[in-house]
Amino acid sequence: MSVKIEVIEGGIPHQKILIAGLVLAVIGLYLSYLNVLLGTQMFAFFGGLAAIAALVWGSHSIKILASYGIGTGVPSAGMIAFGSGVIAFLFATKFGVLAPIVAIILAAIIGAILGYLANEVLSMHIPVMIKSLTEMAVVGALTLMGFSAMISGSFTFSALTSTPTSVIGKLLAMFLGSPNAATTSFSLYIGGALIATVFLLGAIAIQHGFNACLGPGWKQDRMLMLTAECGFLSMIVAAVMSAALINPAAAILSFIIGLVGWYYTYMKYIELSKRDAASWLDAKPIPEVVEGH
Amino acid sequence: MVDIVFSIGITALAGALATVAGAAEDVESDIGSQGDPNSQVQLAPQMGYIHRIYNKAIAGEPPAWGLWIALGAGIAWAFMVMQLNPILAIVLGAGLATFVQGVYSTTAYLGRTASLSKFGQPVYIDIIKSMTTVTMAHAFVAIFATVTICYLMNAALGHPFPLPLLGLVWGIALGAAGSATGNPYYGKERQYQTQNFGAGVPISASGNIVRYAEAGERNSLDNGFFTAKLGGPASGVCFGLIVFLELWRTVLFENVGAGWGAIIVGVIIILIFTVMDRFIEVWARKNYGPYTKPTEETSS
Repeated sequence: MSVKIEVIEGGIPHQKILIAGLVLAVIGLYLSYLNVLLGTQMFAFFGGLAAIAALVWGSHSIKILASYGIGTGVPSAGMIAFGSGVIAFLFATKFGVLAPIVAIILAAIIGAILGYLANEVLSMHIPVMIKSLTEMAVVGALTLMGFSAMISGSFTFSALTSTPTSVIGKLLAMFLGSPNAATTSFSLYIGGALIATVFLLGAIAIQHGFNACLGPGWKQDRMLMLTAECGFLSMIVAAVMSAALINPAAAILSFIIGLVGWYYTYMKYIELSKRDAASWLDAKPIPEVVEGH
Repeated sequence: MVDIVFSIGITALAGALATVAGAAEDVESDIGSQGDPNSQVQLAPQMGYIHRIYNKAIAGEPPAWGLWIALGAGIAWAFMVMQLNPILAIVLGAGLATFVQGVYSTTAYLGRTASLSKFGQPVYIDIIKSMTTVTMAHAFVAIFATVTICYLMNAALGHPFPLPLLGLVWGIALGAAGSATGNPYYGKERQYQTQNFGAGVPISASGNIVRYAEAGERNSLDNGFFTAKLGGPASGVCFGLIVFLELWRTVLFENVGAGWGAIIVGVIIILIFTVMDRFIEVWARKNYGPYTKPTEETSS
């Protein structure tokens, strides 16, 4: 069961990616907090960049975990990262400016408990299980927090649950489907479940890098570039959704940064795929393969 | 009374939309070899069978479709909150979600294929160009229809969940329906057409998927054409029945016994289907039976 089948050779060591991802994500989150300090919303895009840093780190953690022969469960790793991360994230938002730190600590505890259960109670006995699940819960919490800050302007609980009454008219009563909806306080991000979309955006983005690049010809730089591409792609659509919550200028700025980053990483990824592919053919038949497999 | 008639009308409309969505979803995933048939497409080059099949492994179908639908619903909802017309908002949401699906498809094909370089599997650019657009077209149909179902539930039937959450739930249901119903038809019939019927897939035949056509080489568009005949419609009927029966029991029996009526009817529906499935299984076993070696005909 716990036989390591794929060894990472060369490339950046995991420890470096871990530290870089963690530090960049926290810095990005605090830069998005400038919104609160300066009373603007223009710095929302830093949340998206923080999420991308966390995603890149997370995809490498998945690679480490999946090296132990659970290759078919790559997408489920993304789900557990965000499933455990969302608890820590929601709880941490109550702590105002300390939210990112609280989210990291809480997510690490939740991840460690899940890892312990998987290893000891379910008897999986995978050496990196506890460490990887801890990392992935932190990644999930930080990514959710990053996209939340980007879409709603801040990662604090009050911002995530406040109602932008200026844009919402009678329509809301209809959406909530209850006659009292107009009088109850209503939040677009959590109550309106935009967080459900963000949950899956992150969960698919974190696993896609490794899930798409796995195989004998796996290369670290190609996988990490792909994860960054998924992150920027998620940022583009998150920016579109953010237009409902923050002012248009900030949303457009996020959108442009997402678009530029996506185009750059997508082109880079195609370049790297070209480098690694056996051959790059356009409308050619199946090549003759030497028999003898 | 008018309320019930209106709700049943919405239920029928949602069921019809779900049928279209299910059929489009299954054909999309079959063209992309997503879901469980993907394992054989992924394995084929490693066994020496270089192919021209589109291999877009994004995730299992339920999580991937959970994202496309939740994304379409989330964006549509954000636009509706910005006072945009709901139909236009759903079109825009489905369009943007389709863009994301298309980008994910290309990166999945490039990544998987580049990682198989050791076995000489080339990256075919024409496959990306011709097949990604076809999957995107099918995905748009499925996303638009499913987000519309979610909107109908929310706005017309007064479902308490907001649109993105409904999108997540029904997206996962759509992916599961297509994955469970349509994929076996592609994975076990189409990919192994060359094997004897009922022979199963012996280890020696693993990865030996159909790669050549009547004339020339098979590509995934042919697989889409093949599965559109039975696999797609079967998935459509599956998802359509799920949506229709789910809404039907809620609309008619929600007020019986403070909501318990709908739950009891749901359990009864499941029991009826279980009995039906059992009969079909026994009937199929009796008629087709286990695979037996052909008896040697004595030449006289």
